[in-house]
Amino acid sequence: MKCRRCKKQAVVALPGHNTAFCAECYLLFFKRQVEKAIKDHKLLTQKDKILVAISGGKDSLALAWQLANLGYDVTGLHIDLAIPGSSEQARELTTSFCKNFNIELKILEIKNEGLAIPEVKKRIRRPICSVCGQIKRYFFNKFALDHGFTVLATGHNLDDEVARLFSNTLRWDTAHLSDQGPLLPAENGFVRKVKPLYRLTEFETANLCYLVGIEYGFAPCPYSTGASFTYYKRLLEELEFKQPGRKLQFYEGFLNRGQKGFKLLEQKQGQELTPCPECGYPTSEELCGICRIKKVMEKI
Amino acid sequence: MKVFIEPENKEIKLTGKTKTVLGLLNKLNLRPTQALVIRNGQLLTPDRRLYPDDNIIIRPVISRG
Ligand code: SF4
Ligand SMILES: [Zn+2]
Ligand SMILES: [Zn+2]
Repeated sequence: MKCRRCKKQAVVALPGHNTAFCAECYLLFFKRQVEKAIKDHKLLTQKDKILVAISGGKDSLALAWQLANLGYDVTGLHIDLAIPGSSEQARELTTSFCKNFNIELKILEIKNEGLAIPEVKKRIRRPICSVCGQIKRYFFNKFALDHGFTVLATGHNLDDEVARLFSNTLRWDTAHLSDQGPLLPAENGFVRKVKPLYRLTEFETANLCYLVGIEYGFAPCPYSTGASFTYYKRLLEELEFKQPGRKLQFYEGFLNRGQKGFKLLEQKQGQELTPCPECGYPTSEELCGICRIKKVMEKI
Repeated sequence: MKVFIEPENKEIKLTGKTKTVLGLLNKLNLRPTQALVIRNGQLLTPDRRLYPDDNIIIRPVISRG
């Protein structure tokens, strides 16, 4: 295969875009996809002070690299979850990445909040990934607000987003369908959240990391069950193989034509949020989820 | 041809019949967008030819956890 732009030997073939690129033109393709996402949905401006959630996986590293490369004001935040067998490696990879590419990095140690994930897993009966996700969302949001960031950027890619959309649709989860997308505007107690990689697949971020020389983590979290999303991703990859480009069309179609209806529906029946009396985080209950977990953890 | 499958670097040896990257991926039950295929530090597209003395790295892209 030849590069579509310059006719050199191609190194990445992209059936979803019916094209192939050499290394140099691939980087240009990737950059343009991110620029398009930012422009189409007004995700970021050059004035924004951006906090990037960096897990040490390929997507968040690719995101931090691309935004820095586009000249945005970027600071990374890594949350050390204190999970034996994966957190150490993730932290090391993140630290050396930020050093190599000159990106400012903050590290938040979750054990200092009394919420080391292995301890939480022992005491809280819900599935650990759902609790862990809730804890991460809370502290990324809080850190951004407390430190004057105007926006939080996460590395969700097209595969993550399509799998989630598929799952929300299977359950006709109108609340989540009403606000799933690359932009969540700031609201009382919530910083603006953006997903600039939403047009790029996992395959595409992996290729970017390879070509740029970004080393990323493979060690899966020992608690990962590879549950429903992994299965949906596999299903959707089969669909994409038979109908190249379908994932992006499905997702863009939802954003452009599907979502409005769910938004209207939720305005009528959505839940009212009030600030948590302990920490100020918006919640529909008396105490927010994290403060409730903390209460359980403090009991001996 | 020697093939190393990441992340465990599991080594498999293949004989003569696998002539292209696509053929190799099919053998491993992978779609072309499910893994990077690397030879001598170079990414290979599915149409590339493979040779008996090649060392190939397969890097699956699905992320977990
Ligand atoms: S796999 Fe689950 S427990 Fe492990 S880091 Fe991810 S969300 Fe947390
Ligand atoms: Zn080119
Ligand atoms: Zn609270």
